[in-house]
Formats: sequence, C-alpha cells, structure tokens
Amino acid sequence: MKLASLKSRWFLYSILSVFCWGAWAMLAKLGSREIPAEASQFFFAWGAVPVALVLLAARGWKLEKNFKGIGYSVANGILSGVGGWALFAAYRTGGSTSIITTVTGMYPLITVVLAVGILRERLTRLHLLGLAFAAAAFVIFSL
Amino acid sequence: MHLPPWFWFAVVVLITWGVVGLLQKLSTNCISAESALIWLVVGFLILAPVFYPGKALFSYSARSLVYILASAAFNATGAWALLTAMKSGGKASLVVPLTALYPLVVVLVAPLVLRESISLLQGAGVGCALVAVVLLST
Repeated sequence: MKLASLKSRWFLYSILSVFCWGAWAMLAKLGSREIPAEASQFFFAWGAVPVALVLLAARGWKLEKNFKGIGYSVANGILSGVGGWALFAAYRTGGSTSIITTVTGMYPLITVVLAVGILRERLTRLHLLGLAFAAAAFVIFSL
Repeated sequence: MHLPPWFWFAVVVLITWGVVGLLQKLSTNCISAESALIWLVVGFLILAPVFYPGKALFSYSARSLVYILASAAFNATGAWALLTAMKSGGKASLVVPLTALYPLVVVLVAPLVLRESISLLQGAGVGCALVAVVLLST
C-alpha cells in the first residue's frame, strides 16, 4: 500500500473538503432548529456568494471563457438544488427518515458507476474494498 | 409491485447528486476550480427563488441566520476544495466517495459542540470511514 499518496495534493484537498462539510453539517443542524429545510436552501445560495466573490477577487476578477466548463458548473449548481428539493419532498411524504437518508446517501456510488463507465476511470481492488467500507459508513452514519 | 411515495423522489436525489459528481470532474477538465465554484454558485442563485420563504424570511432570529449563512460558506469552501482535488488529478470515483465521508467529522466533534454522545454503532461507522479513507487514498 502506497501511503505516500496520503500526502498527494488531491487527497489533502479532499480531506479539507471533509472538514469544511463537517462544519457545514453541524452549523446547518444548529440553524435548522428554527429555520425549515426549504428556507435553509434559499439562504444556502446566498451564503455561498461571499466565497465565490473571494475566489473571483483572487483571480483578479477574471474568469475563463470556456462555455463547456461554464455549462457543466451551472448545471452542477442547479442539479444540486434539484436534488436538495427532491430530498425535502421525499421526507414530506411521511416515509421513514432513516431509510430515505440511507438510500439517498448512496449517491457517491452512482458517481463511481458514471465515472468508470463514462470517464473510463480505473479502480484497483483496494479502491473497491475502500468503496465497500465507505458504503458501510454511509449506512451507519445515516441511521 | 407497489413502491412507496418517497421512492421516486429518492431516485431523483440519487441521479442528480450522482451526476453532479461527474459534472464536477468534467467542469474542472475545462476550467479552474475557482471558476467552476463561481459558476456553481450562479446555478444555486438561479434556483434560489424556488425556495424563497416569503414573509417568513424576516421572522428568523439573527443567531439562526448566522448559523445557516456560515454553514453555506463552509459548504461552498468544501465544494471548492473538492473541485481543486479533482483539478489536481483526483478521480471522481475516489474524490466523491471520500469527501462524502464528512459525517465522520460530525460524529467526532458533535459530543464537544452539540453535547451529543457517540453510540457503539456510530463508533463502528467511524472505524469503517477511517479504513475507507486509507484504502481510497492508495
């Protein structure tokens, strides 16, 4: 096992993402004691704007003019919101919260299937074993 | 076969969020992680009117608003970090499952911040997540 990859750039940024999203989940939980889920989604969009502005300033207020990249990114934002809306709608049907959370928490596995099928990414046996452990963790954390 | 009402909504969640992981990789193949995040926020804002809470907007306490807006800023920063990981050569099939393990942080920190205790089952989840982190990083 090459533990040197623990120091690779993509891995370190992934861990930074884990910590940021951990903080997001905890603060969102504190805020959701008063603000309902759909209204949270509204504030969610506006709370992201300062981060976007900081990154825009860091780039000297210039963006690449690659329409394909822009299209993918805008679609990312819209699909993220549609997914969030569908999750609230699923909860509102009165179904079991733990089952809905467990099922929808499996979305990374859809990405894996798409990435392997469309982007032709290759995974080692250790990666597949890691995905199995991750899936187990998703289920346990959502219970 | 009778499917429960929540089933199709859950399918929408799986497809949209699953596809998002793919699009994140495709976007960083074309533009920088910073630009990808900026345009992603534009996508958020396009959809924001759908969630407009009406008059209730002005009824929430300042403390709750600070929590929600700060959570959104952390979420956007996390998304930028994920996009940077992909731009740095990380595969979507590894970065997306790895970053989705963020509840690990919540389980470990919640006892200190939210005064919640960790159950034996959650401890098992922490163990699975840590093994997954090491295996996915190889």
